[in-house]
Formats: sequence, structure tokens, C-alpha cells
Amino acid sequence: MIPPETADRARGRDVTRRAALIALFVAITAIAAGYAAAFSKSGTPSWAPWLLVVGIPVALGAIMILGAARGHEGIGPLKVPFAFVVIVLIIGFSAALALPATEGPLSKLWLGLPARAAIVIYGVGLLPIIVLPVAYALTFEAQTLSAEDVERIRTLARRRLADYDNRSQASLDKVRG
Amino acid sequence: MTQTANMTALLQSALPNAARPAVVIVGILYFAGIVAISVWAARKTRTAADFFVAGKGIGLVALTIASVSVSVSGFAFIGGPGFIYAVGLGAMYIVLPAAVTNVMGAWVLAKRMRLLGEVRALITIPDAIGARYRSRLAQGVSAAAMLVGIVGYMATNALAMGVVINSIFGVGLGWGIWIGMGVTLAYSASGGILAGIYNDVFQGTLMAIASVLVFLFVLDFGGGLGAISRTILAHDSVLLGPWGKITPLAALSFFFVFSMGSLGQPQAVHKYYMLRDPLQLKWYPLLKTLGLVLVLLLYFGVGVGVKAFVLSGRLPQLTSPDQATPTLLLNVTPLILAALVFSGVAAATMSAANSFINIGAAIVTHDLPIAFGRPVRNELGWGRAVTILIAVAAAITAQQSGTMVAFLGIFGWGLFASTLVPALAVGLNWQGATRAGAIASIATGLIVTLALETAAYLKVFTFPAGVTASAVAMVSSFLVFFIVSWLTRRNAMMELDADVRLVMEI
Repeated sequence: MIPPETADRARGRDVTRRAALIALFVAITAIAAGYAAAFSKSGTPSWAPWLLVVGIPVALGAIMILGAARGHEGIGPLKVPFAFVVIVLIIGFSAALALPATEGPLSKLWLGLPARAAIVIYGVGLLPIIVLPVAYALTFEAQTLSAEDVERIRTLARRRLADYDNRSQASLDKVRG
Repeated sequence: MTQTANMTALLQSALPNAARPAVVIVGILYFAGIVAISVWAARKTRTAADFFVAGKGIGLVALTIASVSVSVSGFAFIGGPGFIYAVGLGAMYIVLPAAVTNVMGAWVLAKRMRLLGEVRALITIPDAIGARYRSRLAQGVSAAAMLVGIVGYMATNALAMGVVINSIFGVGLGWGIWIGMGVTLAYSASGGILAGIYNDVFQGTLMAIASVLVFLFVLDFGGGLGAISRTILAHDSVLLGPWGKITPLAALSFFFVFSMGSLGQPQAVHKYYMLRDPLQLKWYPLLKTLGLVLVLLLYFGVGVGVKAFVLSGRLPQLTSPDQATPTLLLNVTPLILAALVFSGVAAATMSAANSFINIGAAIVTHDLPIAFGRPVRNELGWGRAVTILIAVAAAITAQQSGTMVAFLGIFGWGLFASTLVPALAVGLNWQGATRAGAIASIATGLIVTLALETAAYLKVFTFPAGVTASAVAMVSSFLVFFIVSWLTRRNAMMELDADVRLVMEI
């Protein structure tokens, strides 16, 4: 019988992974629908890019959550950076799509670029760099891989090797009669 | 990244003749460096594991730089800036995914691949698929799909090498192909991936230095990014709009294919096996992302810079967008900088070629024999022999029609993405994925990519703006993977070995 605490934890883990899988499936379906709409005889409908604007960040966030989910703990503190990056990507793409085109010789520049371009280059292209790899490093031992994990795997590898050697020796003995 | 459009850009127009004494001397020094590294590596390569995964003994910094090197092709130096020159910031959606791809790869694949390598002594990507689904068929199908992609990549890389070497030394395209492939072959066959890795370190460092110096030069020459932007905005403001001159759907498609698709690029994923200590993965995404940003500075800087310089009359009109980088280098930058960049482009094509030769040889001598139930005994010896065969075949193919070679290269990225991402990246993180789902998904990716790319090549139909064969193949492959796995979900747990399950749980 599984102890209640472990069962709860297992359910918690399943909820994280299941939610990530559902989100990934829905996001990929939305992206597929966006592409399918582009085949319309009257041209790409204006709503089609919006499916990608939301679908792509959700798909990327979902697959990262799926990869980061660990044993019984789900994704722990990584919720925050994952949510941040998905929101930054959605806002960045949405702003590029929704804001009016005002670029011209007298446009105000943000770090050398007009506003909408700056949102894309610095927001979509640079903000995740600052957040995600740092979050990965800071949570590495607790969330991704610890020395104990590596030792467990190495113990398993040694056991497999020993089993293989024993089987090989037994086969050899059998052949030799 | 950027391997897809990759050499096509280099194929569209020959590079100008850059054979000046400084360029030739730097080129010779570059090749001498490669020879020295290769001789050293050949002495250390004694087993198949040394040959294919460097004996799982590469340190963090070396692996990071090598991974940056193989992730960036000559496209980042020539075709990419030309693409920005032509369409503006829409071209940035090919490289913007670099902000998330490395760390995404680390979370989704790096740990599990590295631990699978530890527990099962795996050396290839199809090995991982075979172990995950306990299926020789899945291993064989994924190996076959990868081989199709590698054939295309190798031919385009061989031709790109010929174009660059001809530009540096003025030896003619045919000789350029044989010289480039000969040097790459020499270090691939003798030192295997070990020579490849340390040559990648050398080449990646060269690329980063060249990129940063050219970026700084462009900013200085143009009076800063603000002044460059003002010049472009005064003449053609659409170029600095968020999508440039391409449609939002096209730009977002680039982002999708080059972000999610990165999880299926074997030249980068294969590297996860090689890290000496799995705990060093901690800093891998941060270092790789920073390295990639440095190497990609040239892509953005030259693209917008040359556009502004041409619009303001400081540079002559270009005969084609791909001339953006060569025109800048041969007209205004110090010649030594031009020499560094031309050698950097040669480095990019050679590192990609080496990586694919090695992966292709592993497929032929390791994965396919296992799939057919006939493992090869002397994998090191056969690996060296097949390496030679692949390189010679690629060089011969590269001598054929440029259009045909470009076609072969176009589908590489999309083919790897659509065949490997669902089965490998999702499959290693979802215990409910099934063998049937993986095989169906790999087959779907292969068939849809080949069918759509061939139909487009033969002009049977044209895609609507913004839709690409790669994107359609990848979403199809994903959906098939989910649906077939769901339909066959009863088998999921039976197809999972205990050690693989542990790796997936950690």
C-alpha cells in the first residue's frame, strides 16, 4: 500500500506533468490551426497569427515544465521564471502585433531602436537570457541533479554491468560444457 | 541553429575573391591550427567511445564552446546579415530563440541524455530512442531519418566550404570543396569527435572574436545603434518594424521552428553525452547562451549596419543581399578583421561538417546494425572507414547542380525537428509515450517533410506566406505522437525498463 503522503505527492507530480502535457497538446493544436487557416482561399485571416502568438510561448513553457518536473516535487520554485518567460513572450509578440506602426525618422528610440522593435529585440530576445539560465543554475541541485542522483545512477550502472558480466560468464561456461 | 537556410544563402551567390596576402596568411594559420589539434587528438583516440563521444570526458568550457560552434553555421556570418539587409528585423526571429533554446535543451534533454549515457553506455541519439522505447525498430527508424537529413547537410556544407575556401585562396570551387572536405575528413577520421570538439573550441573562439570585433567596428563606423536606426528609419522605416518586411505569421513561424526544433538537432543534442561530470550541467546553459549571443552579434550588427551604410551612400549598392558581409569587410574594415571573419566562416562550415560526419558514421556503424540485430564488432575501424565514405560522397554530391544541393540542405533542420523532437524530447519526459507513438511520429515527420519539400521544389504547389514545410511537418509529427500514444497507452508502462524509468523520474 502506498502511504497517503506519497500518494498525494505522486498525484501532485502527475498534476504538473499532466497539465504540461495538456498545455503542450493544446498549444501545438492552436499552432496547427493557425497554419491551417493560412491556406484559406481569402488569405491568412487576421486572427491566425494570434494563435501562434499565444501557442508558441505556451508550447515552450509546457515542454520546459515537462522537462523540469522532478519526481514527486513538480517544478517547485521554477513556477516563477517559467511564468515570467511565457508572459514576456506573449506580451512581446502581442505588442508587436497590436501596437500601431509609428516608426519614422522622428520616432523615439529605446536603446537605439524604435519602440516595437525594442520590445521584440530586448524583451523577447534578451529578458529570457537574464532569467532562465540563472534560474536553472540556482535551482540545479534541488530541482535538476544532485550528487546523490548521480551516485544512484552510477550504482545502477555498476549493477547492470555486473549482471551482464555474470550472464556472459554463465554463457561462456555453458559453451565450454 | 540557422543550419536550415544555412548554406542555401552561400549557394545563391559566390563570395567575392578575398585572396589578399593578410587573408591568405590568416587562412593558412587557421588550417595549421586545425592540423596541430588533429594530430594531438588522433593520438588520444583508441576506442569507439573515444571516437564517437570523446570517451565522455570533455570539460564544461570546452564542451560549451564546441556546442556554440556547431550550433552556428556560415549562415550566421553571410546569409543571415544578408537576410536582415533584405527584410529587416523579421530575419531576427531565426536567432531570437537562442534566448530560450539552450536552457530549454538543458531542462528537457541534457540531464536525461547524460544519465542514460551513464547507465547504459549509450553513444548516439537513436541509442537513446531505442533504450527509451525498448525498441530496435524505433532506433532504426530514427537512425534512418537522421541519415536522410545528414546527407543533405553534408552536401551543402561541402559546397559552402568550397565557396569560402575559393574566396580565401582563389583555388576554384571544385578544389575548394576537395580541400575543405579533405582537411575536415583528415581530422574526423583520425581523431573522431575528440578532434572535432577541440577544433570546434578553436573555431568557436575564432568565430566569437571575429563577431564581437566586427560588431564593435560597425557601431563605431555608424556612430552608434541610434544613428544607424535613424538612417534606416529616414529611408525605409518598415525594415525596423517588429516584423520587418515579412508577415507576422512568417516571423512567428521562424521563431517556432528554430526554438522547438532546436530540441531535435543532433549536432547539439549529441554533445550532452560528452560532458565529463553531469553536475557540470549547472552552468552549461548560461555559458552557452552567452557564447551564442557573442557569435550572433555579427548577424544583427552587419545586417542593420550595412543597410544604413548603403542607404547613406557610404557603401556601394549590393548586387545581392548575401554580399552584405563581404562588402563591409572588403571595403571598410581593417583587412586583418576581414581575414578573421573569412576564416571564421570556414570554421563554421567545417565544424558543422565534422559533427555531421561523426554522427552519420555512428548511425551507419552502430545504430543501423543494432536495428538489424547485427552489431558491428570493430566499431572504431568501421567508424573511420565510413567517415571517409561519407565525406567523399558529400564532396562528390556538392559538385553537382547548386540548385539540387540547396534543395538537399533546405530540409535538414526541419527533418531533424519533426522526426526527433516529439519522440526524444517529449518521450524522455513522459512515461505515457509509447513505442507506437514514437515510430508513427518519426515516420510522419520524415514523410511529411520529404513530400512537402519535394512538392515545393517541383513547384507542384506553393505554401501560403508564413507557412513552411518544416513547421507543418513538426506540428503533424507532434499531433501523431500524442494521438497514437494515447490510443496505445495500455502498453506504455510495459515498454519502460526500470533504469530508464529512474532516469525519467530524477
